[in-house]
Amino acid sequence: MKTIREKMKEGFVFFDGGCGTLLQAAGLKAGELPEIWNITHADEIRKIHYDYLMAGSNILKTNTFGANALKFSDDGEYSLKNVVERAIDNAREAVAEVEAGTSEGTDSSTAQEHYIALDIGPLGKLLKPLGDLDFEDAVDLFRKTIAIGAAYGVDLILIETMNDIYEAKAAVLAAKETCELPVFLTTAYDASGKLLTGADAKAVVAVAEGLGVDALGINCSLGPEQMMGIVEELAEYASVPMIVNPNAGIPRTENGKTVYDVTPDKFRDAMIKIAGLGGRILGGCCGTTPQHISSMIAAVKEMTPLPLTWKEHTLIASYTHAVEFSGKPILIGERINPTGKSKFKQALRDHNMDYILQEGLTQQEKKADVLDVNVGLPEIDEAAMMTEVVMELQGVTDLPLQIDTTDSKAMEQALRRYNGKAMVNSVNGKEEVMREVFPLVKKYGGLVVALTIDEDGIPETAEGRLAIVDKIYKKAAEYGIAKKDIIIDPLAMSVSADKESAKVTLDSLKGIKERYQGRTSLGVSNISFGLPNRDFINASFFTMAMQNGLDAAIMNPNSGEMMKAYHTFCALQGYDENFTDYIEYASNLPVVTVGNATGGAGMGNVTADSKADSDAAKDPLIEAIVKGLKERAAHLTGEYLQTMESIEIIDGKLIPALDIVGKGFEEKRVFLPQLLMSAEAAKSAFDVIKETMQSKGAAEEKKGRIILATVKGDIHDIGKNIVKVLLENYGYDVIDLGKDVPPELVVKTAKEEQIRLVGLSALMTTTVPAMEETIKMLHAEGVDCKVLVGGAVLTQEYADMIHADKYAKDAMESVRYAEEIFAPRLD
Amino acid sequence: MIDEKEVYRYLGYNSGWIAGLNAETKNDHDDPMDSSSEVIQGHIREAVASTEAAMHPKACYGRFPIEVKGDGRIRLPYGEVVSHDLTRNLCGCKEIFLFAATIGAEYDRLLRRIRLTSMAKAAILQAVGAAAVESLCNKLNDDLRKDAEAGGYKAHPRYSPGYGDYALENQKGIFGVLQPARYIGLSLMDTLIMAPEKSVTAVIGLERL
Repeated sequence: MKTIREKMKEGFVFFDGGCGTLLQAAGLKAGELPEIWNITHADEIRKIHYDYLMAGSNILKTNTFGANALKFSDDGEYSLKNVVERAIDNAREAVAEVEAGTSEGTDSSTAQEHYIALDIGPLGKLLKPLGDLDFEDAVDLFRKTIAIGAAYGVDLILIETMNDIYEAKAAVLAAKETCELPVFLTTAYDASGKLLTGADAKAVVAVAEGLGVDALGINCSLGPEQMMGIVEELAEYASVPMIVNPNAGIPRTENGKTVYDVTPDKFRDAMIKIAGLGGRILGGCCGTTPQHISSMIAAVKEMTPLPLTWKEHTLIASYTHAVEFSGKPILIGERINPTGKSKFKQALRDHNMDYILQEGLTQQEKKADVLDVNVGLPEIDEAAMMTEVVMELQGVTDLPLQIDTTDSKAMEQALRRYNGKAMVNSVNGKEEVMREVFPLVKKYGGLVVALTIDEDGIPETAEGRLAIVDKIYKKAAEYGIAKKDIIIDPLAMSVSADKESAKVTLDSLKGIKERYQGRTSLGVSNISFGLPNRDFINASFFTMAMQNGLDAAIMNPNSGEMMKAYHTFCALQGYDENFTDYIEYASNLPVVTVGNATGGAGMGNVTADSKADSDAAKDPLIEAIVKGLKERAAHLTGEYLQTMESIEIIDGKLIPALDIVGKGFEEKRVFLPQLLMSAEAAKSAFDVIKETMQSKGAAEEKKGRIILATVKGDIHDIGKNIVKVLLENYGYDVIDLGKDVPPELVVKTAKEEQIRLVGLSALMTTTVPAMEETIKMLHAEGVDCKVLVGGAVLTQEYADMIHADKYAKDAMESVRYAEEIFAPRLD
Repeated sequence: MIDEKEVYRYLGYNSGWIAGLNAETKNDHDDPMDSSSEVIQGHIREAVASTEAAMHPKACYGRFPIEVKGDGRIRLPYGEVVSHDLTRNLCGCKEIFLFAATIGAEYDRLLRRIRLTSMAKAAILQAVGAAAVESLCNKLNDDLRKDAEAGGYKAHPRYSPGYGDYALENQKGIFGVLQPARYIGLSLMDTLIMAPEKSVTAVIGLERL
């Protein structure tokens, strides 16, 4: 018998159809686990398999969609092992029965090649960071089921109905790490053509082919007619055979029963169209029956399948969308990188994730397409930091990332955890580096930046650099990495050191295009090293490089000159439909003004004016803070600092302003948004003062140190963060332990830092016990501190019950309590 | 459609203030706090727009027989539970709709992003998200109610785990029956909190008229 890999190369292969609806008809109850029927109703399961085989199906899906270790235990009658093995037995027995029947029969043309697919469905849990299932735990759960199935004997692994590309990645990795069997992946798109977690078909192709699936497609959710658009998109981008297993239409309820509207005839007609669009491995999902399948097979098997073709698209992807390297140059933002940036270095040392994420968001605003991520610093654990930054960035931005590191451990961890298909920065012509990087790119997928440097250094001629390009392509091919997944960086070197260097780089670019039709990228700014006003040189060089076919640049999106070069080039080159991007860019440039643009009127008489003091709200700074005007508050503070001491501003302006708003809030005249806007305006004023003090070498004076934490099990921390903003404004030093904080960490920190006030927040009734436990532990360990509690479900009664010292109903009350605790003692 | 008044309500504005929201007689220009309400309104509109762009409302439901057994005991599709409050709600019902609804995961990412820039905007977005899922539930509730009425049933007000003594634990049973992870991408975490964040599950009692 041919293997399934061989069979699908030759022509159409047919899956079976739906199972769930048939089981319900046979008496499966809502909420009952269908996999248990492998044991309790084996005859029913075998009958379904048998009917599909008689309908002409080649591949049977085992009844193991929900068979995972979350639902089934390690031992007992309904153990995971027993459930999976019996499912395979049922399929095998049906195959044996049918094959025995046909071998006796006279018509040998109906003899089929039959395959058993171990069916793997989603785990029913959302992965971190949005859900609570860790990626590696997901891999382990899939691995358990797959290991049982592979050991017992199946022909392929079918990972199906995946509605999250991240979970699909975990499942494919688990399959690849467990066995050598072919891996098929089908995902479930909704009517908008996306997975529930946002990925479109192009992104799915990028990720799935990067991971090396054998066949890829779509199942469930939609009827065949609604799938046409997605089928076309898959056909355009995917090189592997396409699987299409539609529902018999979109389910709806009628008299309390789920019904599907697509009849076997209509199903057949739609599947003929799908086969014509490139569908090759065809079957059905929910609501389809043996009649649907046999009707489809009878018609489709007479057709000639479209040939399988290799697609040259160079794609990377985030969890929502793919970025294609073709035509319009791709901007790779370089700012997440500590090199030469003391603030960024400090943020890495302090584990200041917000600062790092902010660097990412700013570049996204400035139109970066991809973010380079480099967190290498000798004194930190780069692998751990890289993984964390990648995960956190993916929690806030949907841009694809470029993993930039020379540490192979960091590279592997980040590539493994990355949700999508990443860029990898970088490999080069050195044997040792290729040996290290290529296996990772092969395993996890990726578009790898390849530098034209090898053991002998950087060649001085374009011809020399092209020789390295040749070597890299060849070596990559040995690892099974296609040319389209390599992007060559022919290296820009300082033109001030060698006047030919720009020309050599440009000639190399041209050579890579002409000789190899290869993709190219450049770290543009090296060219100007050693020259004044580097942006001028960079921008012109950037334009020249784009003119020579550059596909991507690693650059600073905050650079005005570079962005100007980019937008004008795209407009002139015809990449900017209707000049939309150019017009948006050019008409929103900051207006250059003489003098100050934000100062506002009436600033001449603000200094220590007693009138202003007596009429607080009329003071411009106080007014700005009360109104929550961030920029204005910062600007005014800068002006005040010319004539006033920091402390005068804090005590005379900022605190009174906060008090006005705070009082208004307590009296219910002012509401939460304004309280927070004022707090943010005050913070921007504080930041100006802080900077001035730091530049003068003066230390900031803090009123007291407070721990804040959202308790273990609770991940909703918006309330805690609101309290934090206000406390910091009032001059407290807040140690923010974050969310889901174990009691031990609170106790340890409180002890080490000699904390006098701990604030705990909990949103759910289910996590209040964790709050109680934390308080108990603080008391048991004899930590001399007060405990303040708050959160949506808390009440004074609850607070008393769990022995908190104080219940604060809102953020202002927390501030008042802190003032009470840290009030200067009179004795 | 996200109801702006709902948003204000979630943000803690009192009903008197909300009632005056559209009145044109607010001219107390001397009060700086008052003029800032325009800025806040701008933020709210922006949050509504970005939420509407990010949200992918989805729901799944089923209709099931139940039995109210007295003493607070009710047989639900996932087993027997004890809840006096739910018993009161389901008085006279022999069937229920069980539903799960969510505005999707992209909103969660939007909230994570905005928190990095401004807590004020995050608080507003939080309220907008709550109003969004509320309006989704109202719409679904309306459709189900009409469906029930057409068949000669009266629909009772919807009731969610966590209300009264209908324990949050019931989420496990509801998730087992509806499998919202498969159909609408909604999952239950070990803490019984749902992900994506802005999601609702509920019971709607059906009383034969």
